[in-house]
Amino acid sequence: MRARDIMDIRFHTLRPGQSITDAVKAFHTASTEEQKKIFGMMVIDEQDRLVGMLSMYDILLFVRPKHAGLWGEIEDLPLEGAFDELLERVKPVRVADIMTTDVVTIGPDTHVLVIADLMIKRHIRRLPVVDGTEVVGIVYISDLFYHLLKKLF
Amino acid sequence: MPVVQPRSVLSGMLVKEAMRRQVVQLPAGASIAKGINHLLKFKVNALLIMDEGQQPAGVVSKTDLIGAFYAGLPTDTPLEDVMTGPPLICYPDDELESALDRMRSRGVHRLYVTGTEAALVGTLSYTDVVALLYRYCRACPKSISRRASSEEPGDEGRRLTVKEVMTSSVVSFPENAALAQVIEGLTAHRFGAVLICSGQGESRGVISKTDLIRAYHHGVSLEAEAGTIMTAPVVAWDQSAFLWEALRQMFLKDVQRLFVHAGDPVRITGVLSLSDAARVRSGSCRACIPSRFMVPA
Repeated sequence: MRARDIMDIRFHTLRPGQSITDAVKAFHTASTEEQKKIFGMMVIDEQDRLVGMLSMYDILLFVRPKHAGLWGEIEDLPLEGAFDELLERVKPVRVADIMTTDVVTIGPDTHVLVIADLMIKRHIRRLPVVDGTEVVGIVYISDLFYHLLKKLF
Repeated sequence: MPVVQPRSVLSGMLVKEAMRRQVVQLPAGASIAKGINHLLKFKVNALLIMDEGQQPAGVVSKTDLIGAFYAGLPTDTPLEDVMTGPPLICYPDDELESALDRMRSRGVHRLYVTGTEAALVGTLSYTDVVALLYRYCRACPKSISRRASSEEPGDEGRRLTVKEVMTSSVVSFPENAALAQVIEGLTAHRFGAVLICSGQGESRGVISKTDLIRAYHHGVSLEAEAGTIMTAPVVAWDQSAFLWEALRQMFLKDVQRLFVHAGDPVRITGVLSLSDAARVRSGSCRACIPSRFMVPA
């Protein structure tokens, strides 16, 4: 069994120049359309090359204040107001500014057990499938999971 | 002759109590674009640059990248072309006071913390030192945030106000100033941000180093007007506010400075930065030495 057998060939992508606000909307739209939760998307440039990945985690990392540990110690504060101001500062930020640029990819012929090994060792939940320079699909950890364990149910 | 050792709330504390166990690093051959991505993504002010043998070779700060922007370098230029080095280091068991003195005397905003066998274990920055001060002063029994219950009268005078700690010079530019001019102003005054004002001297926005490197990443021209990339509006604080209140705002909003006014919110009179707070060695008041001994370890 190879990547091509379990990859999803319908996938949503982002452009590096899109705003983070648009990316958040795109996550919501993609999750609705796919009827499954989309936690990360591939970022593709004008030449259709994969230039990065943007996950919900990346966006959360960005909006979380660096000293968020202090928030738990402060009871007497209208926290919502402070966070709104933080969100305002997300507006000029683009996908390329905070996306992950070191992307691990696999080929259509990568074996499923190699994929499982990669996901475990690198803590990755989705892997773009690249043929030459073209993105042809994406393997999600859930698809891999059900494929490998389908005999158990 | 007796030598007087000035003591502060940080006396006796060690680097390892304030350092952050995260070192954002990139290889020397990585591009400026990638460097900016990492600075913005991880919200740090500098990157450690590693050579081919995985040894620290230098540092690239936001200031260095703004210099590259000003010089018109393309963003695919390798970071090694703009790095400064070698990185200044300290050790986890160094006294925090001596590390801070070293930062000030060398004019840097961070030190890289090195463990045994020269392995990097973290970074020490002003921001993290002030966060420690703030937590420390909050835990103090004399903390103003506990005043309601302690009902100890008459000690307002000991509380530091923003005015006492802030820097009262602020550099401002009109909205139609070119980014190149803004960069010249920032560099000449070694400020982290400049104010953008209307012709009548009313604040309209702020341009920080982060705004400038983001503009560089987005391919904005040096001739672009300041107003197009500024962060607006300016949320300014009254200079009579207590230092601890202002610090709390800075941590909650994740900003490194607050602009200050003297009654009229659009007339800016100064700026309070986290490094100002690090300089006074306090998160709230001036009488912190006695209270230090009252805080349970």
